[in-house]
Amino acid sequence: MEIAPALFLTGLIVGYFVLAGCDIGLGMAAPYLARTPAERRRLVSAIAPYFLGSEVWLVGAVGVVAGLFPSLKDVLFEGGMWAVSTVLLTGWLMRDAGLWLRARVDTGAWRSVCDSALVSGSWLLALSWGLIIGGLLSGGDPLTPFSLVCALTVAVLFLLRGAAFGAERLVPADGSASGHTGPATAPEADQAAWATRVLARTGLATTAVTAALVAFPGTGPAVDRPLLLAAVAAVPATALAITSGLSGPHLSRHTSAVAIAAVPLLAGALNLPLGTPPAGTLLLTGGAILPVLPLMVVGQVALHRMLRRPADDHGFFVTPPPQDSQPGRTVPVS
Amino acid sequence: MFEDPLLSARFQFALTAAVHYMFVAFTLGLAPYILFGQFRATLRRDGPRMRAVRFWGGLYIINYAMGILSGIVMELQLSLNWSGLHEMYGYAFGAPLAIEAMGAFFVESTFLGLWIFGWDRMGKWAHWCCFLVVTTTAYASAYWVLVSNGFLKHPTGISIEDGEAVIDDVGAMAANPSALLAFTHVTFSALLLGGAVIAAASAYHLRRGCDPDGMYQRGVRHGTALLLIAVLPTVISGGLQFIMYGQDPPSSGTTYSAEQIAAIEEGYGELSTAHALGISGDMVMMLSWALMLLVGMLSAGVWAFRGLGRWRWHLRLLAFVPVLPYAASVGGWVFRETERQPWTVRHHLTTADAVTDMSPLMATVSFSLFTSAFAVLGTVTAWLLVRFARLGPNAGPLAPPRVFDQDDEDGRTPVLRL
Repeated sequence: MEIAPALFLTGLIVGYFVLAGCDIGLGMAAPYLARTPAERRRLVSAIAPYFLGSEVWLVGAVGVVAGLFPSLKDVLFEGGMWAVSTVLLTGWLMRDAGLWLRARVDTGAWRSVCDSALVSGSWLLALSWGLIIGGLLSGGDPLTPFSLVCALTVAVLFLLRGAAFGAERLVPADGSASGHTGPATAPEADQAAWATRVLARTGLATTAVTAALVAFPGTGPAVDRPLLLAAVAAVPATALAITSGLSGPHLSRHTSAVAIAAVPLLAGALNLPLGTPPAGTLLLTGGAILPVLPLMVVGQVALHRMLRRPADDHGFFVTPPPQDSQPGRTVPVS
Repeated sequence: MFEDPLLSARFQFALTAAVHYMFVAFTLGLAPYILFGQFRATLRRDGPRMRAVRFWGGLYIINYAMGILSGIVMELQLSLNWSGLHEMYGYAFGAPLAIEAMGAFFVESTFLGLWIFGWDRMGKWAHWCCFLVVTTTAYASAYWVLVSNGFLKHPTGISIEDGEAVIDDVGAMAANPSALLAFTHVTFSALLLGGAVIAAASAYHLRRGCDPDGMYQRGVRHGTALLLIAVLPTVISGGLQFIMYGQDPPSSGTTYSAEQIAAIEEGYGELSTAHALGISGDMVMMLSWALMLLVGMLSAGVWAFRGLGRWRWHLRLLAFVPVLPYAASVGGWVFRETERQPWTVRHHLTTADAVTDMSPLMATVSFSLFTSAFAVLGTVTAWLLVRFARLGPNAGPLAPPRVFDQDDEDGRTPVLRL
């Protein structure tokens, strides 16, 4: 029973990395994958539905840390980690604001401000996650060489996850390229699929550098369970190695998920001050959360099933289509 | 003020909480109305009514976005700037927050996502049920946050073991009178605020002669009715909270002795800036209530003479009414929070001990960063809300996609899909 809250927290954080990795990574890759207004519009409509369902995992995790593991906060929010957490929060705010506000005003300038917020926010998020993991492993200092390489590796893993996601979601809803003139194929999706291979190779290289730093005395992190660290780190390395040999996105959907899921688990190599929540706290939180657990599962499964299809052409987050289309056309409704 | 990290942390939290609550209150006030509207539209298969639901729903989501953004900042700010609270009271104060994040917000946001993207993709009743879940969890959220807040004001159901607060009576914690009274008050005042905004937006359009399918005539009636129903309970449940005034919390004396508590409160003084601010907040709230009661009686009279939604001077007046409940909400919170000073957890933890040990640089960076971000985002969201309320049902963010009739020769007659 004592391990249940810790497992719950781990599940939430791993869920966050796997699901939010898709939309954060695709946001990071936006300048490369989407260069024309129509492409950017499609990219945002691919991200937008996902982020609502994925960021709640992090909000839940922060809540669980606040309620059940208050002593974890000392590790996460002290000294240099305080600064990284503040940057992470800034990135989170920027990215969400960009996504929420982008479709509300129909001018190019507004959209480019929101796009910049989306891209820079996604990068800040990914890099600060890397610094947090690296900083934790370095004993609370996010500015060691090891932490910096860690940040780079995590950013590549996010990008890979985003590219694998983009290869599926950037395909138009129907063959006619979403109602307006354009090629029947989706060049962005092909580009994303191609990028998974490059990114997997880059990731493999940065993982190797990280491993070298660990082996090199003086630069490596001081962890309590080095064997576990090596074992967990071997997971993304293997996943990357599998993906790097393929040209298509077929496997990268799964390998990128496995690789990014291993990132937060690296912290398991540390003796984190988890503590055991007292009985009263467990009774209150367990009694209130367990009954709604089925609803959480149903909601998440339904949302992700509904969004599995290629992105829609209309909706809250989608800007109106470009004005150059001919009158009398039929807007497809799926 | 930046020389004193405590002061800037307090000011920062006050700003965050005030901005957050303004958007939360509208969320809470509008959700039941949308739920009710969508129920009627679905039951009667009434397309025009569903168009009204899409209009109010669009405003709901624009507003909800800022609620989430400010809520996230608030949740993390508690950890970043108020670590003392978590060291000693984490297991007690944090537990309801954990429930709020997991049990309420997680579900609320997921189902709101389903509702936004499910318009044309799921059964009409399944779609309505999504919003039922959103409404229920929005209120559950409010309840659990107020359990946390009530704990700060009136710590009950806990004992102190080795300098750490431990919940020993779950029931007392969840049924804290300070939380229950505040929840009742927040519920009614949010409905009042929702009613005022619905009436105001409807009045704006009616005054311009715009009333597609009678949606704004209904809106002005429903909004005024909500305002009339909620105004007295708001005042009463607000006034009831004064019975808590001066009552010592049951756990008083377990951290500090009665003499020490008296000394700390004596040292803080009666005439601090915080208390002065609190008294002004109280006055703003009372004045707004009085004006709302006046507007309520006036509107009831106008309604009795069948002038509601027709008399232009009254429509003009209604359009400005939302200023009052918003002012009352912020004023009320300033009053509630400053009244607790010098304590963060009453009779247990002083505000000065709760703040994170920050350097002035950290405090300045954090303050200027989030205050400017909030100023921008809050202003943009408020501007968007007013803009889309004015644009009406055809330009809203949830307006149905225009589908052009296949048989129509020039293909220019749009067909409404609902």
